[in-house]
Amino acid sequence: MHRQPHILEPAPAPARRGVRTLLPLAALIVAAGAHAALAPEAVSAEPVEAVSVGLPERIEQIVLPGPELVPIPLTDATPVVIRIDRVDPHGTALRYDLVYYGVEPGEYDLAKYLQRKDGAPAEGLPEIPVRISSLLPAGQIEPTALQFRRLPWLGGYRALMVVVGVLWLAGLVWLLKPRRRAVVTNVEDVEEEPVSLAERLRPLVTDAMTGRLPKEKLAELERALVVCWRRRLGLQDATPAEAIAKLRQHPDASPLMTQLEVWLHRPPTADAVDVNELLKPYQNIAAHELGPALQETRR
Amino acid sequence: MPTATAERVSRESTEQTIRFIDNVRSQIGKVVVGQDVVVERLLIALFTGGHLLLQGVPGLAKTLLVATLARTIDLLFARVQFTIDLLPSDIVGSEILDQRTNEFRVVKGPLFTNLLLADEINRAAPKVQSALLEAMQERKVTIGKETFKLPAPFLVIATQNPVEQSGTFELPEAQLDRFMLCHRLDYPEPAEEREILKRNLALGVRREDKGAVARTEFDVLEEGPVGTTEDLVQAMESVHHVHVSDTFVDHVVELVDLTRSHPRIELGCSPRAGIALTKASRARALIHGRDYVIPEDLYALADDVMLHRMRLNYEALADGCTGASVLRELLDEFGFVTDR
Repeated sequence: MHRQPHILEPAPAPARRGVRTLLPLAALIVAAGAHAALAPEAVSAEPVEAVSVGLPERIEQIVLPGPELVPIPLTDATPVVIRIDRVDPHGTALRYDLVYYGVEPGEYDLAKYLQRKDGAPAEGLPEIPVRISSLLPAGQIEPTALQFRRLPWLGGYRALMVVVGVLWLAGLVWLLKPRRRAVVTNVEDVEEEPVSLAERLRPLVTDAMTGRLPKEKLAELERALVVCWRRRLGLQDATPAEAIAKLRQHPDASPLMTQLEVWLHRPPTADAVDVNELLKPYQNIAAHELGPALQETRR
Repeated sequence: MPTATAERVSRESTEQTIRFIDNVRSQIGKVVVGQDVVVERLLIALFTGGHLLLQGVPGLAKTLLVATLARTIDLLFARVQFTIDLLPSDIVGSEILDQRTNEFRVVKGPLFTNLLLADEINRAAPKVQSALLEAMQERKVTIGKETFKLPAPFLVIATQNPVEQSGTFELPEAQLDRFMLCHRLDYPEPAEEREILKRNLALGVRREDKGAVARTEFDVLEEGPVGTTEDLVQAMESVHHVHVSDTFVDHVVELVDLTRSHPRIELGCSPRAGIALTKASRARALIHGRDYVIPEDLYALADDVMLHRMRLNYEALADGCTGASVLRELLDEFGFVTDR
């Protein structure tokens, strides 16, 4: 690595005048300076110690004349890469710290790989010889140059990405799609849970009239009969207590309410209820005879 | 006793109870305007030995109502205002050192009464609440090393203010379950409020010592009690004679069961809710002059028995549902008002 400053330009004019007028001691110093100034030219004649390919090397305090320099733009064929680490003024010239590394073995002049900052060629620069060596033996075969290959059948990576993207979007749409309520496909389920009040009521009434209705189902029958009248009289929105109170006062509904009370809730008495007569009107009740059900959900 | 005679005695006893109830209601009506439903709930709690939680803003005559009921039936009445610094010993009682005898003596707290009004129960610390609720459940308390039975009848009527919730300790579901009924009081109707104001304007002043004080509604009831503890005991026995049909039991079971599978309810009603619903329905039937229960009793009491025993899930609360609206949905489904 170069540690000594490389003065590659002629000494400035004021300095030369000083040398002529100073005392012998000063002349000795100037003589030493002149020797130092001449030394880089001797270095530039012979390349510096060889540096292996790819290893960075540094040249510090090198004074180059003219406007500021920058490395030339790199191409694939550039055998040596230069980076300017630092620039300082040095009289009318500039002092540089350079870092370079070789890509191809050989002897190079770094000055050829520099240009002016405004893009003009760097003329009048002294040589900056460097030598790049290779650790590989001579005659090393270079790797085969890459060749373009035909794309695979489906178009390769890009087509694959498109397919994956489409599938992902399809999945997202499927997830965000509003779901419909699951359709009951099991016939037994449909039979077990009728969807309308009329369908629910008819078997209960028939079984009660034939005496086959289990006792546990009497409560269901009572509620179904009460709601028949709630729907007929449009009392769906009333509270259950209010609705029943109104049914008791209604001339058509109150007999049913009274009879149900005697049949299902009063302690057993001699006044028996004729169940067949009571339930006959509801045996073949049709859905349209009942009012609409309450569908909305309250908050 | 032959069945016919037993039936006659039972009928006579029921008729006597109904007269007693009418007298009590009319006496209360002299002091408290309206609030028929609250009076009914109080009587239900009294006749079934359950406890009652009243939720309502201040000024709805809760204390007046309970005090009047106690005076009407000649019951011991105590009122405790629950506060944050109340201690269990303040309500249960404690042992104190008698300096004359140098021995510890038990001083019983206000819990030893027939009717206890626990005002603003949610303002007390949980340890006080649990001391009270334990006494409500077991009807006995332990002071020092001695266990004391509470007087019979023993009824706790607790109040809660639903508005001011800062600095309160909300009763957890397990403790709320101890209350047979939780009734939410509402403001009186305009006509009732007009009557309240008219009565208040006519109160005047009462001369006392050398001065006078303004008369309050508490001074209105000057007559003695219209019923005795014996009447109350008879009413409690009559409640047990009220017939409950299998169909009614099925209604209760199905309704309670619906709360356990409803999609908006996280915690459904316990079997205790079913028991409370049946017992309260019996008492309501008697108050309405019947010796058998009907579905109206169930529907009338469902809110007060079930609402405080249900806990809505997060989704329901996020949707802005209330316990009352979910119970209404549930009753509609129960009564087949909505198609499935």
